[in-house]
Amino acid sequence: MLYILGMENPTLSVHPSSAARLVDGAIVAVWFASYIAARVIITNVPHGSAMAIGAAILPIVPTLVVLWRATLAIRGLDELHRRVHLEALAAAFVLTVLMLWTLGLLELAINLNRDNWSYRHVWAYMPLFYFLGLALAWRRYR
Amino acid sequence: MSPIPNRVRELRTANEWTQAELADRLGVTRQTIISVETGKYEPSLGLAFKIAKVFERRIEEIFEAQ
Repeated sequence: MLYILGMENPTLSVHPSSAARLVDGAIVAVWFASYIAARVIITNVPHGSAMAIGAAILPIVPTLVVLWRATLAIRGLDELHRRVHLEALAAAFVLTVLMLWTLGLLELAINLNRDNWSYRHVWAYMPLFYFLGLALAWRRYR
Repeated sequence: MSPIPNRVRELRTANEWTQAELADRLGVTRQTIISVETGKYEPSLGLAFKIAKVFERRIEEIFEAQ
C-alpha cells in the first residue's frame, strides 16, 4: 500500500507480492474513483437532496479500506522504515498546519482570491510535504 | 548526528554474508543493515539482541556504548 502512495522505496525494502500490489492498486484506484464519482454526482443533483448527501459520504467506505491497508503496510515495515515514515508524517503535519495558518492569516490581512488560494487547496500540498519529509528523513539515515 | 560505533560490518564480512543475507536473517530491509553498519541508525534493543544472536555474540561485543 505504501509504495503505491509513494511512501515506500521498493528498492530498499521488503517487496510485497505482486498479488498484494495488484490488490492495493485496485483499492487506491477505487478510492480516487469514489471521490471523483461523488463530485460528479453532487454537481448534477439538486443541492441538499438525499442523493447529494449520499454521494458526499460515498468515499468514506473506500477511505476506511485504504486506512486498513495502510495500517497493515506500516505494521509490515521494519523499524528504520517506520521511523522514517513517522518523521515524514510529522513534517507533513507541521507544514500543513503552517500553510493553513498562513493562508488563514493572509485572508484576513489582504484580499486573497479564494478560488486560487484557500484552505481547500491545502490537501493538494499534503503529499508534497510528505515527500519532502521522506527525503529529509532518508537523507539523515542513509 | 555522530556515527554509533559497532562491529556489524566486520562480523558480517567475517561470516561472508551479504547485507541482503543478514537482512533476511534479521527480518529487516537491506537499507536498515546499511544504516546500522554506517552508524547512521541506532537499532532498537530488540534488533540489537537479534543481531547479537545471529552473530552468536553478546550485545556489548558488537555495539559500543556512547
